[in-house]
Amino acid sequence: MNRLQTDNAPSLSVVIPPFIFGALSFFALSVLIILAGTDLLGPYFNGRILAITHLAVLGWGTMIIFGALYQLIPVVFEVALFSEKLAKTTTGLFALSIILLAYSFWTDAFSTLLLYTASLMFIALLLFIINILVSKKNGKRNIQSRFIAAAVYWLFLTALLGWLISLNFRYNFFSQVHLHYLKIHAHLGFVGWFILLIIGVSSTLLPMFFISHKLNEKKLVAAFYLINGGLGLLVLDWFFLTGTFLVYLYWLIIAAGLFFYFAYIAESYKKRLRKELDIGMKFTVVSIVILLVPIFVSLLVLQGSIFEYTFLQRLATFYGFSLIFGLITSIILGQTLKTLPFIIWLHKYKQFVGKFKTPMPKDLYSEKIGRLQLITYFTAIIILTAALLLNNSGLLMLGSYALFFAAFLYNINVFKIIFHKTKTEKL
Amino acid sequence: MKTKEEIKNIELEIRQFLYSVMDPEVELNIVDLGLIYSITYDGDKKVHIEMTFSTPACPLGEVIVMNVKQSINNKFPDFEIDVQIVFDPPWSPDLISEKGKTLLGM
Repeated sequence: MNRLQTDNAPSLSVVIPPFIFGALSFFALSVLIILAGTDLLGPYFNGRILAITHLAVLGWGTMIIFGALYQLIPVVFEVALFSEKLAKTTTGLFALSIILLAYSFWTDAFSTLLLYTASLMFIALLLFIINILVSKKNGKRNIQSRFIAAAVYWLFLTALLGWLISLNFRYNFFSQVHLHYLKIHAHLGFVGWFILLIIGVSSTLLPMFFISHKLNEKKLVAAFYLINGGLGLLVLDWFFLTGTFLVYLYWLIIAAGLFFYFAYIAESYKKRLRKELDIGMKFTVVSIVILLVPIFVSLLVLQGSIFEYTFLQRLATFYGFSLIFGLITSIILGQTLKTLPFIIWLHKYKQFVGKFKTPMPKDLYSEKIGRLQLITYFTAIIILTAALLLNNSGLLMLGSYALFFAAFLYNINVFKIIFHKTKTEKL
Repeated sequence: MKTKEEIKNIELEIRQFLYSVMDPEVELNIVDLGLIYSITYDGDKKVHIEMTFSTPACPLGEVIVMNVKQSINNKFPDFEIDVQIVFDPPWSPDLISEKGKTLLGM
């Protein structure tokens, strides 16, 4: 008999703490956005924007991904996670380093506290990387697992460069200005870590949730080589040649890779058996379409000199914003409502199936709150986009409060799922 | 020992019980979804079920198997149920019954 994936499922104490920390980070980050106010409309190399960005990509995006990935390893690699103890240690260290890192940036402690917190962060990320790569070594090899492994290697490079930048604030050994390395660090993280991981996980989960079969995986193979190749060339060019005209070619290669991914998801969507999408899947589909925005905006940012300097600064902030809030946040908002209820449901009801009438995973959260969250969230994103592009502080405040409300609604649903009380009825 | 007809009737009865087993993600019962390949009753206390999942990496596999066993044991508590998971032939949407297709809005 084939081994069942639930036999390999990790314990709840590995998966749930990252979801709790992630949800609270999202809430905290929405508060910081309100507090930062018009600083968000200024140059992006400033302590407040860096604190918000790192809390968003690490405390929110990466932490939730850690939780989800611990649960998904058995699904994608078809093996158990290498070490649960290592995963729990990683979560604790990572959480502590995120809080300290955000504090270091917010208080502009670039040459003092930042070095220690960045070192702690680097160790926490290394522990995670070891856990995933050792798990993968014993696992199934397919295109999805290759995307995840590649994302983990890029995460290593992102963390390493981040750590080197923090060292450079004190010892000053880089030949170029910080902004130059920050650009490389950001692209390693956004494209190498987040986008490749999202592709690996979504190309496993989406066909499963859509219930679509007989998909052309060659599209994913093409996406894999194009995105990794394009990013590798871009980073090498920026690092050693400090940026030649060839960056347009690398942009084209990465964009072509992403379009192959879009084509794969579009095929899965067209062939889906479930015509009616629930709220989680609606969020997910929208977030994938939104990926078109940063692809386009990055091309505009590359044109640099044709724009007025202050507008270019805001355009660069908007580029990061569209990746964090357009793609990463909306896909997490959607997939939380797909994966978290299932994780809790499995834990609470596994022993009751067949003996009692049990609720379904989707009954563990409020669809009504989910719908309200979807409306509020996308309203916030549209208003904040206008605020950044039009340099309007009134719209910025309005959008920040809408985002705060969306984060609040998300937390209600997350904690409703986590603290769900078991309810059974006689058959 | 039971007659061939009695065996056939019990196999049909077991299939009926399996209509109550849902795939929690798809929200359709596993018979209409086409996951059950065969049900074999030995005429005494052994039942062998050959079934599949809609995807080899189905995260709900264990729950579905437990539910299959429990739903049969609810009626026949002393039956020994052996569930074998196979992926050859792989499941495909063509295996969904007409009723299942209607329920899924296909």
